[in-house]
Amino acid sequence: MAIEKPKKDPATVLRDRCPTGIEGLDNILNGGIPRGNTILFTGSCGTGKTTLSLEFLVHGAIAGENSLFVSVTESSDKLMKNVIPYDFFDETLIKKGTLVFVDMPVIYERLGLTEMELSLEDVNTIVKAIGDLVDELSIKRLVLDSVTSVCYRLKTEEKIREFILKIGKTLSDRGCTSMLISEISPSAERYSLYGVEEAIADGIVLMGNLERRGDLLRTLQVVKMRGTNHSRAKYVLDLTPAGILLVPLLKGGSGGGTT
Amino acid sequence: MPKSPNDLADELGQMMPSAILLTITDETYFDAIRGIADIFANKNKLNTIYISAAIPSQSIIDVLSILEVNLENTYFVDCISHIMVGSTKRHQNVHLVESPTMLENIMLKVEYLMKKGGDRQNVVVLDSINMLGIHNSPKILSEFVHILNNNMRARNAYIIIFTVESFGGSDEIGNLMSFVCDVEMNMKKEGEP
Repeated sequence: MAIEKPKKDPATVLRDRCPTGIEGLDNILNGGIPRGNTILFTGSCGTGKTTLSLEFLVHGAIAGENSLFVSVTESSDKLMKNVIPYDFFDETLIKKGTLVFVDMPVIYERLGLTEMELSLEDVNTIVKAIGDLVDELSIKRLVLDSVTSVCYRLKTEEKIREFILKIGKTLSDRGCTSMLISEISPSAERYSLYGVEEAIADGIVLMGNLERRGDLLRTLQVVKMRGTNHSRAKYVLDLTPAGILLVPLLKGGSGGGTT
Repeated sequence: MPKSPNDLADELGQMMPSAILLTITDETYFDAIRGIADIFANKNKLNTIYISAAIPSQSIIDVLSILEVNLENTYFVDCISHIMVGSTKRHQNVHLVESPTMLENIMLKVEYLMKKGGDRQNVVVLDSINMLGIHNSPKILSEFVHILNNNMRARNAYIIIFTVESFGGSDEIGNLMSFVCDVEMNMKKEGEP
């Protein structure tokens, strides 16, 4: 009797992957982020969100994919001073324009968006400006750090929803795989500050600090990722000059190893 | 009569990369380290990744330096020095883990050193299971050793886990070690009490 071949999940077969270059994360995601997805990287401070997103861009740039970091919270000059000196980082990536840094306040200024609270019309203007940048520079990977800071100026749920939906669609239509960095407080019971971002994003990666018997471990967990099968287990990560490394969180039996 | 460092290195040289439980005594401790990190590793062009949970790495380095052991390709994952107040001297090949309870961070440092080592094959020494047992519950320790051993197997690396004969310790850990290690060796010569 002929054995019928198991049917492959179309979601995992059809989608092209954008490897993050972070070996552990690519294993968790079965090869990488489905290309064109907009992923929310969320977590409290000091969990490694910015470092991880930068590494994603650097690996992309090394692979020849133009990569753009949009910095909202701090100037890119300051950011570069504090970044881990990766063994694989090559400054010529910036000189060649494969790796580009843009400060969001500069975009606001050029667009004449001086009001503290942005309107729906302003949302469209910002999304268009980012879309134009992606077109002009042929960007394939983008990081917005942080979306929370942009949302802070949008104030209402309606405008935040509009912004996330439009930015996600704009980037996805251009085949650009993007990471939106979201800041949450350690005690938050949701994945984003406004609760809107998490519902709209194609994927959610939760980064945290786990305290176990006085030790503080950096953790990463892929909560949701459209277009691929993935592990939902919690991993411990380390930020090293060789890049981000991940190992499974030890559970220590049914007690969870936390006592 | 104890095995000499050369005897140990010869025995290891006849094995494929595997998980080895090595029973040592206070008297054979440095002979075991010499046999692995100096003779076996240098002869076979291996990097040694030495996880020190028993004594600070600097104490081991000091003794090995007196014995004129070449430590160029020996890297230490030191789980003790960080919790010692006032310990400041640090060799360039030493990587600190904050506490012996941060087992995941030990795995991450080993991972990092293997990545840094490139194509060179590795021998990982865990010194010792008994000392890690002081700081960790048998359940989490079992999980750690199981994952570490499997990671090393996947990377074609030797892993040698020290167990101190006089220590005793829990039967649970002893049973686990027999279960997860491929080979059990002793620094005593065969047939001797």
